[in-house]
Amino acid sequence: MVSDSRIWRRLKNDRAGLAGLLIVSVFFLLAAGVWTGLLGQNWSDASGGRWEPPGKEFWFGTNLLGQDIFQRSIYSVRTAFEVGMVVSIFSTVLGAALGALAGWYSDTWIDHAILWLKGVLDSIPFYLFVAAVAYALQGQDWAMHVAMIATFWTTTGRLVRAEVMKIKSREFVLSARAIGLPDPLILFRHVLPNTLHILLIQTTIAFVAAIKTEVILSFLGLGVHDGVSWGLMLAESTQEVLAGHFSNFLAASLMLFVLLMGFNLFSDALQDASDPKQAAI
Amino acid sequence: MRYVLSKIAHGLLLVLGVTLISFILMVWFGPDQTYTLVGKNANPQQIAEVRHELGYDQPFAKRYADYVAQLFTLNLGASNSSGEPVSRILKRTVPVTLALMLPGFILGNVLGIALGLTAAQHRGRWTDHLINGFSVTGMSLSFLVIIIVLQVLLSTPYGLNLFPVRGWQVNDPGSYLKYVTVPTLSLILVTLGYNTRFYRAVFVEESGKDHIRTARACGASAAAILWKHVLKNSLVPVMTRIMFSIPLIVISGSLLIESYFGIPGIGKVTFDAITSGDQPVLKAVVGLTAVAFVLIQILTDLLYRLVDPRIS
Repeated sequence: MVSDSRIWRRLKNDRAGLAGLLIVSVFFLLAAGVWTGLLGQNWSDASGGRWEPPGKEFWFGTNLLGQDIFQRSIYSVRTAFEVGMVVSIFSTVLGAALGALAGWYSDTWIDHAILWLKGVLDSIPFYLFVAAVAYALQGQDWAMHVAMIATFWTTTGRLVRAEVMKIKSREFVLSARAIGLPDPLILFRHVLPNTLHILLIQTTIAFVAAIKTEVILSFLGLGVHDGVSWGLMLAESTQEVLAGHFSNFLAASLMLFVLLMGFNLFSDALQDASDPKQAAI
Repeated sequence: MRYVLSKIAHGLLLVLGVTLISFILMVWFGPDQTYTLVGKNANPQQIAEVRHELGYDQPFAKRYADYVAQLFTLNLGASNSSGEPVSRILKRTVPVTLALMLPGFILGNVLGIALGLTAAQHRGRWTDHLINGFSVTGMSLSFLVIIIVLQVLLSTPYGLNLFPVRGWQVNDPGSYLKYVTVPTLSLILVTLGYNTRFYRAVFVEESGKDHIRTARACGASAAAILWKHVLKNSLVPVMTRIMFSIPLIVISGSLLIESYFGIPGIGKVTFDAITSGDQPVLKAVVGLTAVAFVLIQILTDLLYRLVDPRIS
């Protein structure tokens, strides 16, 4: 275990990690710009001609319908953050809760039930699970989110369970028990806060996974239905690239790549900083 | 023997779980199939007959038992859209998917192990940093983007134009290579970053252990340490990784690759079933792959015992 202040101190010295954080912050500002109505509001207007090349009016050109690709790729930042935030926060909270319960009550029926559920969810191939959820929910917009949250928590759950099992035999927990504090209070006030570094790392990993998954699901017709996302733009572009129109593809894939790279660099730096084995370095 | 039995019992519980979830999602909560099957202007009696055939008048437990029985006897009904029996569709398409996905899956893991080992042995030096940078880049690329780039670069006049753009007309080794290359390269690129990262961590962990230091101090050669101590002791995490990536890479990957390249494997069939809401196909594919994967897990657990007698 590495203390939180130590993590931040090490993070500050990690240049790649800071660059990642900067990239993510810039994208977050773009998303905030879309939320507040300052940016990307004309993403669905078909005001240009078909497949216009990049120019002064349309910075990244236009698509088949004459829509502004720049506006669409900016608006998609918001979609990406919405999917990423909803999925990463809910799946991490779920993983933390179930993992903590399983670890605290390890080797009881609670633990066995949670491990069984995790085993079952890990056994169903993910895209098929999404397809099944989408099928059951009749193409609801949030079918994608539900499916990702229902499966992404398992890794967090496993890590938190292992950590809680370690922590619960430590002295401060034993003394909390000895003075008769109730279990839930010990678990949520004293044990879970010590898994915060795991939760933070898992949130960044789930964020990346959610955005990448949205792209594939939107291409398969199981993702975003109304609105626009990089996944939908890439799905559009699969036909265009064969005819030599690359604007849609380049805009969506480059923005996607830069955001994911930023998140991965930041996530890596977090993992390095909270790794006790590197404490000496 | 007790180990074997407990693993099998554990597996059966998982089978119960995966079939229950796919049943609940696709049959119990799934859309009503009655009006897909009855003709136009059906009278109430015909409707009641179809509902009876579909089991809609039965209780939950009975319908679930029927679904499990269908999966295990492979008596899966016929596709709504083509009328072809689902078991025949599977027999036709599964070999195509295996031929398509196996080369990339195997190469992705072999290359990942090789790169991970190289990085671990040069830990902290520039080779390690280079390989790490390469992994992070690979992890930041979307599967779909990789497919599109490779297709444009290798199969269109905008690039080298060496391979067919899409399709699967395989009848001899030459045509197999022609159609399998671009999908295989995509699969390798999409998995290599994650694989390298994972295997590096495993090998770094293993080579930092005390017995390795002792072996080195006793003057064992680098090759002996690598093969006898590091690789052999890493077998269990490596096997787990390979087994657990099967549903994600082979099955989910085939869904994307086959629907993108128009290859008639199980992924394309599933994709078509998703878009047309073909329930008999969908519930068979989801149920069967999940059950098959549980069986693979049991097998892996038993193999662990052979690889590492300490496991109990």
